[in-house]
Amino acid sequence: MTGTNAAPTELAIHRGGARRMGFFTDTSVCIGCKACEVACKQWNDLPADGSQFKKGGSYDHTGDLSASTWRHVRFVELLEPSPPLQQEAISALPAIPPAGELPDLVAMAEGVGSKWLFMSDVCKHCTNAGCLDACPTGALIRTEHQTVVLQADVCNGCGYCVPACPFGVVDRDPIDGRAGKCTLCYDRLEDGLEPACAKACPTDSIQFGPYEELVAQAERRVAELHGRGIDGAYLYGAADEPEHELAGGLGAFFLLTEPPERYGLPAEAESPIQENLLAATAAAVGAGLLAAAGAALSFTIARRRGR
Amino acid sequence: MSEGNDHDSASRDDTPALGTRGGPAPWERAVEDSGVALAKPAWGDAGWSYIFGADTSYAGTEPQPGEVAAANRAMRSGAMPESVQGPVMHAPVWTWEVPLYFWLGGIASGAAFAALAADIAGDVESAALARKVALGAVLPAPVLLIADLGRPARFLNMLRIFKPRSPMNMGAWCLAAFSSAGAGAVAADLLGARRTGRRLGVAQALLGSYLGSYTGVLLATTAVPLWARSRVFLGPIFVATATATGAAATRLTLAAAGQPEDHPTHVALARLEAGAILAELTLSTVNERRLGRAGEVLSRGTPRRLFRAAKGLVGVGLVLPLVARGRSRRPAQNVASVLYLAGGLAFRFAWVEAGKASARDDEAVALMARGRLTADERLRAHTERRVLSEDRPPLAVGGPAKTLRAWSATVGRASLLIERLVTRGR
Repeated sequence: MTGTNAAPTELAIHRGGARRMGFFTDTSVCIGCKACEVACKQWNDLPADGSQFKKGGSYDHTGDLSASTWRHVRFVELLEPSPPLQQEAISALPAIPPAGELPDLVAMAEGVGSKWLFMSDVCKHCTNAGCLDACPTGALIRTEHQTVVLQADVCNGCGYCVPACPFGVVDRDPIDGRAGKCTLCYDRLEDGLEPACAKACPTDSIQFGPYEELVAQAERRVAELHGRGIDGAYLYGAADEPEHELAGGLGAFFLLTEPPERYGLPAEAESPIQENLLAATAAAVGAGLLAAAGAALSFTIARRRGR
Repeated sequence: MSEGNDHDSASRDDTPALGTRGGPAPWERAVEDSGVALAKPAWGDAGWSYIFGADTSYAGTEPQPGEVAAANRAMRSGAMPESVQGPVMHAPVWTWEVPLYFWLGGIASGAAFAALAADIAGDVESAALARKVALGAVLPAPVLLIADLGRPARFLNMLRIFKPRSPMNMGAWCLAAFSSAGAGAVAADLLGARRTGRRLGVAQALLGSYLGSYTGVLLATTAVPLWARSRVFLGPIFVATATATGAAATRLTLAAAGQPEDHPTHVALARLEAGAILAELTLSTVNERRLGRAGEVLSRGTPRRLFRAAKGLVGVGLVLPLVARGRSRRPAQNVASVLYLAGGLAFRFAWVEAGKASARDDEAVALMARGRLTADERLRAHTERRVLSEDRPPLAVGGPAKTLRAWSATVGRASLLIERLVTRGR
């Protein structure tokens, strides 16, 4: 992070008057074009992922977020409807058309209740960030925009942040050796430009702005969708009661219409370090001291009997 | 790895557009302090408004108070879909170096406990030998840890900051302190400075109580279901393995040095290793019982084989000295110690491999998030006090902060320098 006023021993960059910035990703208007993935790779100079079909014929080439994929459009292919819906739809299926005429497959698929959802996944820039808590070198820091950024010139690739992220975002690159994840385009923000993915998104499914403004906009969007009869619309990671917040609130949050697990997201999340450190350390060090005492006791008894 | 899959291919071109791999891109503005063309202040170009303004039907409805929070709660706590479309989290990337380090670090701390105990009991010679065992076991540890890094040349950055929140950072500091105390103690013993040796031995045993247990904390503080839900068991289990393997290694060394079988230290160590193995088996069994769905990975594939091998090895080790009679007692005890060491190694590998499998178990990860994973889930406090991740106030300019800052900058620069020297010509 040359050129910023980051204090080397600090794990945070401070700048007066800076606001929390974030992403609001509205999956209800995502068309799965992957422009965000491409824009992200171009701006951040990330290598390609190859172009193989993965996961049993899914159109999702990329599979998941990785050290070289910081935006990933997850394809949620709900091609199997619930049994009652299926029954209902089968009774309403159009008759098989006579030879020579092609059936309207799209209409048929819609009739059977299939859904095809897209969700542009990204680092959540958690308030209580597991990766940031875990990082032993101080490579991961919090910026003045309250985002979580990895300093590539400090990271030594220890890999601890990888299982410390409950969302499966950060990963270690097998070739480069360092961890990598979304920086919310910290370098672009410094120059007054919005992040590359948000800039590229043709439907504005990815929206960038000051956190409070984004949350207000997202809440109005949820209300709008509820008004249109889409009762399943909700926000993942924002506008929760304090006891239901995901990792203290997500800097990058989402509007979803299905339960979180459909998108590969956990229903609750917390920094694993903040959740477990005290209990685990107390038990571990307690056991360590007990073992040392046990050793001393064993020796003292043996000595006494030996005499 | 097939042609064209740059994600995994070794042929991937990772030359950055600017600068060198790993270094900051050395670019300069053409005109100092100039802005980017067309960029507006405060990200004015970012207006979502260009499609979705307040005057559009996109977000025109004001929500009822609590409406969104209620919708969030309903969808996140409603029925969980039958199939979880993973991956939810990434599996740990650690390879064989890490469990091997856990094993060696464990032996070192166990030997440090034995050295302290021998000192307390007044057996100065055995204590000195145990301290040598501890030092010998801990010496390869940094090599293994460095080898496991993605960028081994930057190993110094582990000591760039002091971060009590990160078990790995604390472990690195503890390893450095433990090794230093151990080397000092052995040197003092060799020079005949008995009191210094003893004092350093006490420090080493205290540090050992963290070195042998923090590895369990390190695993427990991840999002891996098996590890996270074993959080109060992992540390104690790892300490038990450490004590058993450390005592076994010390006892074998003493036996090789010709200590008689009925020597009190010998007897004490034999009891200590058996007791620690029993404690480890008991803790493991209790933990497996309560793990519920999270423990399913223990009964499949590689983790199952490793755990069975580990339990089999230490089980035979427990029985052997009990059934041996007469002249076969001494070799039986030695074989038992070797079995404990082998079993301990298998346990280390088993825990790491099982964690990887658990992270790939999408359903278990999802169930853990919903608090429906283990049998005793309701015992866990749900709303604990949380702290913002690392947002410390800025350091003062002078005084100790200045030294800390200089330390971090020096370590960071030294790491990059080492990396440049190591990778030169590649």
